[in-house]
Amino acid sequence: MRWRRPRTIHPAVPELQEQLRTGGMDRREFLRTVTLLGVTASAAYAMVGRLTGQPLVPRVQAAGKLGGNLRCSMRVQPMTDPATFDWGEKSNQARHILEYLTITGRDNITRPYLAEGWEASEDLRTWTLTLRRGVRWSNSDMFNADDVVYNITRWLDPRVGSSNLGLFDAMVTATETAQRGPDGQPILSKSMTAGAVEKLDDYTVRLHLNRPVLAIPENLYHYPCAIVHRRFDDMGADFSKHPVGTGAYTLKDFIVGEKCVLVKRPARDYWGPEAYLDAITYIDHGDDPSAHLAALASKQVDMVHEVGVESLPGVERLPHVVLQEVATAQTGVARMQVTQKPFDDVRVRQAVQLCMDQRRLLELAHRGKGEPAEHHHVAPSQPDYATLLPPKPDHARARQLLTQAGYPNGLTLTMALGAADAWHIAAMQAFKEMCAPAGITLNLNVMPGPSYWEVWDKVPFGFTSWTHRPLGVMTLELGYRSGVPWNETKHANPAFDRALDLAVATLDVNERRKHMAVVQKLLQDAAVIAQPFWRSIFSATTKQVQGYATHPSLYHHFNGVWLA
Amino acid sequence: MLLFLGRRLIAMLLTMLSASVLVFVLLEVSPGSVATKVLGPYSSPEQRQLWLVQHGYSAPLATRYFAWLGKVVRGDFGYSTRFKTPVHAVLWPRLAHTALLGLTTFAVMVPLSLTLGVLAGMRAGSVYDRLISLISILTTSVPEFASAVMLSAIFVFSLAWLPGTSSMAEGFSWRELVLPTAVLVLYDFGYVTRMTRASMIAVMYTDYIRTAVLKGLPWHVVILKHALRNALITPFTVIMLQINWLLSGVIVVEFFFAYKGFGALLLEASLNQDVYLIEACTLVAVCVAVVTQTLADVGYTYLNPRLRFEA
Repeated sequence: MRWRRPRTIHPAVPELQEQLRTGGMDRREFLRTVTLLGVTASAAYAMVGRLTGQPLVPRVQAAGKLGGNLRCSMRVQPMTDPATFDWGEKSNQARHILEYLTITGRDNITRPYLAEGWEASEDLRTWTLTLRRGVRWSNSDMFNADDVVYNITRWLDPRVGSSNLGLFDAMVTATETAQRGPDGQPILSKSMTAGAVEKLDDYTVRLHLNRPVLAIPENLYHYPCAIVHRRFDDMGADFSKHPVGTGAYTLKDFIVGEKCVLVKRPARDYWGPEAYLDAITYIDHGDDPSAHLAALASKQVDMVHEVGVESLPGVERLPHVVLQEVATAQTGVARMQVTQKPFDDVRVRQAVQLCMDQRRLLELAHRGKGEPAEHHHVAPSQPDYATLLPPKPDHARARQLLTQAGYPNGLTLTMALGAADAWHIAAMQAFKEMCAPAGITLNLNVMPGPSYWEVWDKVPFGFTSWTHRPLGVMTLELGYRSGVPWNETKHANPAFDRALDLAVATLDVNERRKHMAVVQKLLQDAAVIAQPFWRSIFSATTKQVQGYATHPSLYHHFNGVWLA
Repeated sequence: MLLFLGRRLIAMLLTMLSASVLVFVLLEVSPGSVATKVLGPYSSPEQRQLWLVQHGYSAPLATRYFAWLGKVVRGDFGYSTRFKTPVHAVLWPRLAHTALLGLTTFAVMVPLSLTLGVLAGMRAGSVYDRLISLISILTTSVPEFASAVMLSAIFVFSLAWLPGTSSMAEGFSWRELVLPTAVLVLYDFGYVTRMTRASMIAVMYTDYIRTAVLKGLPWHVVILKHALRNALITPFTVIMLQINWLLSGVIVVEFFFAYKGFGALLLEASLNQDVYLIEACTLVAVCVAVVTQTLADVGYTYLNPRLRFEA
């Protein structure tokens, strides 16, 4: 017997509508929250129109032109296992072959994708996903609940090594292993809680969480969450060799470091509206930004994946090119590992924080394009951001703290950072000067980009870039909760974990901001990072490219893109 | 002659063998770091240990070296972690691309610099000589990364005559070969020209040229029949050495123009700690160096009548 999906609306929705009507919540926040609770995006937009009296005219899109090959300049990386993707580029290569259960647009609103809809229980601990029917894999199998159960189970298997293990922490239980750490305590291994994912019928899957989480739909569009075929491991667990997917395109040609060519599947085989482009070609022009620019200038490509802030003047001069800017939660953090000397002393870490003048760094290293940050890794553009007093540089206080910590004559620190992003080096060189008046001699150990990623979670002091995520809590879950794989600062604070639990479980916006204020303050006070700014990012296309808008995560959605 | 070649061959093999020992020891002396490089930074210590045992890393260094050498001799360089393919699958095509770039560069550079060098050296101090020397010194002193930027500013961004990158993504294209070749020629021809000029001048001062001129031979006969052969001995060696230089000199050019050749491969392998690929690239570079050196020696002896193939 088929389990029937109740046509009820989440009990919190009427309350949210009330908040919107009375102005307790803004339009964007309302849309985001109700769509997360399973209201379809179009219904949510209709609600906004009714409640605020301002009709939202859906964007009318001119019918595009079929055919053509979109050539995009982007690094072509290996793409063996989508669950372990650690670069947005890898997911972009796979993004038109594989699909996700949900999709988050550039407006931070999450919409149905392979999941047709979802419902959360009142306590936000049980999530029921209804899957789309009639979706066909490129090997002609039908997509169903087995695929979803297989994928989620796989993400949460510690042997796979997926970062999703931290993202879906509420579905994970820590168990003791036979091994013991240096402190004599058994090493904990995190794996999926038994029964955390349940198949109700062929098209319904239910998730059981240990604790309430609001951002499940948004988490499902995190880039390592692409849904692979249920026999992925049997097929050799190498996506680039067996690129079976549900998406509108298939892989035709793939050479790491050179190119990745996708061609459109026959339109009748794809469940969604027909994609316009016949082919998508990613061309690897290496790390040199001037090569990307030269390719765009001579019309060898129609698009450059990302334009660095240092190349903006060059791009602005090209008459046939459109430059797109989007404000993001992309950032970099000068992070200090609390388990290593001298950063085991919070006063040292605070002194480092106090040296930083964010506004000046933004001007010096990023042409002022972005927003100053506040040492707690939640961006003003994210809906769950709570306003705190912005931190101010204070060298006298920094000196005082260093003296108390036993460094009256100052100290020398060495920071590791990758050379791949020019702004990292520019920002940290400027920061070096800012540290000097407090008696901190900052040495920069600049290494090639990939080499930094070998040690990013090991060095005592390093500068790590973090990508955009639609919610502040997502980054905090990934990077600052005790013991998660990407916790590069080794920050471990039960009070912080509890406050974060509260924040992610709270529906009411104002209430949630109160919890976030606590979370952000705790992280700020722990002083595990000195965070310069949130940066705007840019991509560029020729004027021929229509229907493309830069996503704050630089995710590519080309199904609706065409060439004029 | 045969004895000479045989000796050279043995010397070549010995050089390569010692180079291979160096490469192997430098990169593989610490098995733990090899496992980390192959399995990636997220691998667990057990995985690394397991991998080391499976791949014979528990054996002594010498045993491992000979096992590795045996494979290399058969053309099996191992697996590239960066490109997720056997090393030979990426190495040979890239080497062929660079060979093509090198060939076009030489096809332009050799005739150009020899002609200019001979013209300049024929009459040292003449207007020709001054002009050619000036141009040679100017172009040689501009580094490749600077001339690459200048050329693309002119021909790609201002005039829009030429494509800005040379990744040949849509099949082979002569137009995409123009700028990388131009940069390499521009950087290199001045040096060869100057060497040819110096050699030519030395020849022009010899007694037998004076005799030839004094006995009333026409100028072009003196140059073509008497001076040229001897004047070309030094440039020949220099040109052979340029092959060797090119193999590493192309890195800048290939990076700038996104040309998918050996230089870009070497760079990518080093930046990504791709151990087996680095080993293979180094061995290829050593091999090219040794072979061109030998060819230069053989050619030099052959061209220079004063030297004979004596052991």
